[in-house]
Amino acid sequence: MMYAVRYVRSGLLVALLAFAPWLVGAQVKPPPAKPKPNAPVPAMPEHHDHDAMDMPIPMPKGMPMMPGLKGLRPPVTPFVPGAGVDPATLPAAKPVATVKLKDGDTLDLTAGLVRRTIRGQQFVMYAFNGMVPGPLIRVAQSAAITVRFHNRIDLPSTIHWHGLRHDNQNDGVPGLTQAEVAPGGSFTYQVRFPDAGVYWYHPHVREDIEQAMGLFGNMIVDSPEPDYYSPVNREQSLVFNDLLINGDTLVPFGKEGPDFTLMGRVGNVLTVNGEPDYGLTARKGEVVRFYLTNVSSSRTYNLSFGGAPMKVVASDMSRFEREERVPSVVMAPAERYVVEVRFDKPGKYALVNAVQQINHFAGEFEPEVDTLGIVTVGQVPAVPDHAARFATLRAYPAVSRDVDRFRQHFDKEPDQKLTLTLRTNSLPLATVQFMNIDTAYFAPVEWTDAMPDMNWLSTSKQVRWILREDATSKENMDIDWRVKQGSVVKLRIVNDPKSFHPMQHPIHLHGQRMLVVSRDGVKTRNLVWKDTVIIPVGSTVDLLIDATNPGAWMLHCHIAEHLESDMMAVMHVDGVADSKR
Amino acid sequence: MISRLLLAALVALPLGPYDIKLLNTPKTPTAQGTARLVFAPSPFGVTVTADGRSSYDVQLSLTGLPEPSTLGSYKAYVAWAATTDLSKWHRLGPVTNGSSTVGQVELNKFMLVITAESDSSATEHKGPTALHGISPSGWLQSLITHPLFRGVQ
Repeated sequence: MMYAVRYVRSGLLVALLAFAPWLVGAQVKPPPAKPKPNAPVPAMPEHHDHDAMDMPIPMPKGMPMMPGLKGLRPPVTPFVPGAGVDPATLPAAKPVATVKLKDGDTLDLTAGLVRRTIRGQQFVMYAFNGMVPGPLIRVAQSAAITVRFHNRIDLPSTIHWHGLRHDNQNDGVPGLTQAEVAPGGSFTYQVRFPDAGVYWYHPHVREDIEQAMGLFGNMIVDSPEPDYYSPVNREQSLVFNDLLINGDTLVPFGKEGPDFTLMGRVGNVLTVNGEPDYGLTARKGEVVRFYLTNVSSSRTYNLSFGGAPMKVVASDMSRFEREERVPSVVMAPAERYVVEVRFDKPGKYALVNAVQQINHFAGEFEPEVDTLGIVTVGQVPAVPDHAARFATLRAYPAVSRDVDRFRQHFDKEPDQKLTLTLRTNSLPLATVQFMNIDTAYFAPVEWTDAMPDMNWLSTSKQVRWILREDATSKENMDIDWRVKQGSVVKLRIVNDPKSFHPMQHPIHLHGQRMLVVSRDGVKTRNLVWKDTVIIPVGSTVDLLIDATNPGAWMLHCHIAEHLESDMMAVMHVDGVADSKR
Repeated sequence: MISRLLLAALVALPLGPYDIKLLNTPKTPTAQGTARLVFAPSPFGVTVTADGRSSYDVQLSLTGLPEPSTLGSYKAYVAWAATTDLSKWHRLGPVTNGSSTVGQVELNKFMLVITAESDSSATEHKGPTALHGISPSGWLQSLITHPLFRGVQ
């Protein structure tokens, strides 16, 4: 019966596609040759080949806009930051610089307009202190600093200190922990760094615009333990973002609310540290520790370094229980990973994002590779040679001991169950009809936006993304979720595969740390403390929250357009001192 | 008896997006089964290859498979993952009635096929098909008329 239903649906889609007049003229792109992941340079065509010029948004090559969508515009006023400002009057954006701060130091952080040049085109964009990414704040664990934030952009803003378990009133969430900082205004944050790791800061107002336009920066918190990480020849902080550019123009945002709300804005120009062509020169045998951060609005990456051996050491808020060799790093929006890579042979190693996109017309998955940069390795050997240490996969008993305190809670019944879904209204008819059939293509992760026309035309007026509390059916900010400080909270999240548009969601919890104890009933073997967790389509993920930090903390999807379409709730941690556990 | 009932219940569970309903053939009318795809262990929230293909372990729940010898000169059942055009086959491992985990499959869209073989260590599928299904990502692709699944060797 189920097969029959599926085949009927299959037939419907085939009929739809066969008789759709717009498809007659479309060229179904033949699948490119399979990539060779171990090749030091990409062995297949890049995907930067969008048909764009005569369309309001870039479309995948060979795919026109659907006729039922042609001529439509999202029901929001187009907004481009700094519109009317002559880029020549603005300072050029500078590359990131590291700011080392000591306990008690003060940093002035100003969000302002800059001129960025990307592939020869000039754009007015945002930056913190004129840098993209913003200053890399490097501090010792347990330090506390003061940050004086000055808003000099054309939108209200705040700064959220992503991943830090610090004081609630400094969390940067408008309407919950502070008021928006109006253009021209300022706000002072007291920022504490209780956990070693790699973190990032960004606005919590219209992330779909402000973050995408350049307001993001890293924080690296150094442990006092000298051997916390293994010795390496150098460290690099890499921040991954994508921009949606149509010809020489940024695709405008929605003024009243975001567009691209069905799956988030997926850019067609991928950048590393603000530049489309990252470059690094290394010595033979050099071991590099990369701090990787995904600040994209929606894109999930699958990153590798041309087949160079790589091991993953840490993620958001801690090291793993043990290091693992990995062929690539899967990183959802807002996640961070610390990896070590050894470039053992001279040559060029391409930093690539390699994914499988869905060809909705052929019903096939096709490889798509973007080269984000090149690591050029010379003949001169690295000194010192860390080959032996790199070959060793370390275990971190301190992490396991920390986790051990929570194992007794792994199998308890969930304290809270949430379902991820959405509700839509007034979407174009063509979108509704196609989406009803298209959900038969099952993919746990949508790596690319293969239907950008439908996505573009969806706004927060038409799409409400939902965190639904199973016990009460309450949604988003109506959920009254209270836990006691010091409690260990088991949260089960189910990503409804039968919703109108099932897709993955990177769920972020502010101000606490959590463990992924199981996915789809399979227990996690190598644990790490997280603040952002990807929930694939149809997956059930059990999280254990160490609710030690009192206050009102947001739980939300970190796809910027989903957050701006209401996909957020609050976990209230009531301040009862926990001195016993 | 209890384990049989449990297995029957498992087989009867509603299918989710990671489940494959296995269909029998005229030669194996009593056979039933489901497969559940779970991401292979990795440090990440989803497991993929370097070129982005999903990487799954396959959890099988099978019941009603007859003795392989009733189908001919066969001694074991073996699970395979095949591309949907059936041009490439990948051995997953021997299976029997009951629950087992085999793997890994590194394909986005594939057929899951269980065949009777003369040797449980067979590296090439030669025997008749006992059960077959298609991964959820292939739901729009119909192969039901393929001779292989009409009991023709």
